[in-house]
Amino acid sequence: MATKLLTIRNLLNKPLSLLMNSPHYIKPTYNLQTFSTTPIASVNFFNKLPAEKLWKSVTSVSNAGAKKGRGKGAGRIRIRDLNRGQVIGVGKINMLWPGLSAPVIRGRELLKQQRLPDDPERMEKLIKLRDSMTRFRRLKLSPIERGWSGSRMPGRSIGPPDPVGDEEFTGFDTKVLQLRSLLIMKGNLGRTRNFQAMVVTGNGHGLAGFGFGKAKEAPSALRKAKNRAGKKLMNFETYNGHTVFHDFFTAFGKTKIYVQKKNEGYGLVCHRAIREICQAIGIKDLRAKVEGSNNLQHIVKAFFIGLLQQRTHQQLAEEKKLHLVEFRQENSYYPTVVASPSYVRTKDEIPKDETLDFINYVMNDRVILKRKKFPRFYETMPHYEIYLKKYEKYRNHERIRLNLKTEYGEVKSFLTDKYPEEKKDEEA
Amino acid sequence: MSLIKLCQNSTKTILFKCTESQGLYISARKLSIVPSIYDGENPAPKFFSSGVQIILKRLTRPNFEKVFRKRTNSNISVLRTPVYKFLTDEELKTEQSNAYKSAERLLQMPPVVKVQEPVDDVLSKDPALVGYDSSTYLFTDITHGVANEHRLIIQREPDGTLRSCDHDVRKKLNQIYFPMQGRKLRDPLVFSDPEKLNSLLERQKYEYILDRACVQYEPDDPQYQKLTSITYQHVDMNNQYDLIRSTRHFGPLAFYLTWHNSIDNLMLELVQTGIIREAVLLMSLRQAIKEDLVNGEESTALVSEILPTRIQLSKPEFVSEEDIQLDTKCMECLDKYINNNSAMKSQQGLALQGFREYYQQLIEISRGLQKAHGNA
Repeated sequence: MATKLLTIRNLLNKPLSLLMNSPHYIKPTYNLQTFSTTPIASVNFFNKLPAEKLWKSVTSVSNAGAKKGRGKGAGRIRIRDLNRGQVIGVGKINMLWPGLSAPVIRGRELLKQQRLPDDPERMEKLIKLRDSMTRFRRLKLSPIERGWSGSRMPGRSIGPPDPVGDEEFTGFDTKVLQLRSLLIMKGNLGRTRNFQAMVVTGNGHGLAGFGFGKAKEAPSALRKAKNRAGKKLMNFETYNGHTVFHDFFTAFGKTKIYVQKKNEGYGLVCHRAIREICQAIGIKDLRAKVEGSNNLQHIVKAFFIGLLQQRTHQQLAEEKKLHLVEFRQENSYYPTVVASPSYVRTKDEIPKDETLDFINYVMNDRVILKRKKFPRFYETMPHYEIYLKKYEKYRNHERIRLNLKTEYGEVKSFLTDKYPEEKKDEEA
Repeated sequence: MSLIKLCQNSTKTILFKCTESQGLYISARKLSIVPSIYDGENPAPKFFSSGVQIILKRLTRPNFEKVFRKRTNSNISVLRTPVYKFLTDEELKTEQSNAYKSAERLLQMPPVVKVQEPVDDVLSKDPALVGYDSSTYLFTDITHGVANEHRLIIQREPDGTLRSCDHDVRKKLNQIYFPMQGRKLRDPLVFSDPEKLNSLLERQKYEYILDRACVQYEPDDPQYQKLTSITYQHVDMNNQYDLIRSTRHFGPLAFYLTWHNSIDNLMLELVQTGIIREAVLLMSLRQAIKEDLVNGEESTALVSEILPTRIQLSKPEFVSEEDIQLDTKCMECLDKYINNNSAMKSQQGLALQGFREYYQQLIEISRGLQKAHGNA
């Protein structure tokens, strides 16, 4: 329509110019002098598609890629909300819009639409805000809540089991040992994902149990496992409330565990799952070596079986019909009788081939292979000998310094008063 | 024999100046304890006589739990895993007898002897050597196999006098050439600084003080005798005999108290805790050392009856007929002692009366029990 009108005006203009061909005539100017008549299609996929779809096209990972683990973790492209930090009425050009970005009346003055000086930092701020959205952040836990590794569940505490009727689990604490996803096939749904959890719960005074739980969601699997563990409590006696009764060997499947009794202050030197179990039971000192398969469920089962198969000192004494005597280095190896049987055999009654060594007996004649200790790699090298020769004369100096400090309060001797140390120029 | 010349100028600095005794007197004033040393009659013959030794060992009341208590002096950061053994009766007995032997070694009493006398023995005076040197020369024999106390150590003074060395120089030189483990050349601060000793005494670390003194000094050293005297008196004042019992220092403590006529506190403690057999042993100890008891013979006769019986670690809870006979004798003997020789008559009499009542009840209970079991 507009084009038609223009052509008519062009026609009209021509006779008018002819008519008004005088020197006093001033040529009128028109707004639409350089007007293009070609049509412009101002449509592309940026304004045709919603932001959601646009972002998906950038961030999506193919099905095969997702299975390989692409689009996860630190390298992942993240959806950014570009509207964040933007305010209606504030844009690239800093304009004052009364009624939108400013009040209409300020004081007694009616504000007018005007351009304000440009804010050079505006864009930088926006970019900074957008960048902060893209950075990958792990869920941070306090060191007390933290489990074995970062924010992952294994090793974390999930509180006592839920009360059964009126019975409450006071003093109990549950530790997650394992939480993993399993894929199972279903007739109508195909492959679906399940979560399996293994937890151990205990009160630290001999009562402990472990349980498994499976569910579609991780939290419910954990809850199920926790409550099952609470229903399967076992009582374990400890030696003087700090360790096991004796060394023992235990196995489940291909997993073999050698457990050693230790003195107070040794600590728990073992697999982290065994450590959690020991803490749940209340064992404080123990060494355990896992050999063979590292299957976590097998380790847990083997350790529990081993604990259950322990014999108390009284039982051992009764089995052997001999006194069980304890010798401690800190008590100058004074013989303390820890258990005596009702009837004690004499030397003649003991067969020649009977196992009398305590460790051998409790390990069922299984002998732990002790690896030969090789010298450290540097000890055979010539430079180590040179080092030893060179530092031999200094080997006692540390102790001498300490003695001098206790005697004189500083490093000096009875000769220092007579022959004082020469003072350096800087000090003087 | 090799003659050794010690560094000339160091001799003066090495020489001990016995200033520590002054320090000790200060501490003594603070504590109102005056240290007394064995400087009169020689106590050694009495201390080493077999009768006294037996009584002192019995008075120590060795409790194996305490004798073999946990000691962490092996410089291992973590305790060793205990060792277990299956033993027959005979093997257990041999193990136990071995343990008794080592207990005897652990409970060996530090000897009580007279304090050493100063050495003043001029060997020769050579006027020709006057002014030869400004330092004292020390000569010693470092042959192995010579006991430290018999070692030849002499000194040549600048005025030409050749004399035997005094004890402090001897001790120093012996320690230099034949070091004894744990002994220091200079006195440790615990003994030279009275405040540190005081704080140890206040914390009742008696055993530590006595052990440390044993390592640092010889038993005839006046410093040793002063230190032990202060410690013994502190123990006596605070009635902390139990801290010293079952250690090797209880015998010397009992001997010290008896020697210095101050066994009343210990006697009272024994009667109050109801271990009157040991009270009678203490009486006989006094009789053996001082011979000033009215019924001394009676108590000495009782000792032979008491010694074969078992050591009482606490108040008796069950008594047999033989026990009753023996204890009754002990009580009579003790009664006489309290009336005639004790300085704390009223308190000890009351304690004995209390024990008598307790014992009467105990007899009734024991006899009743025996009757109930059908043994009477």
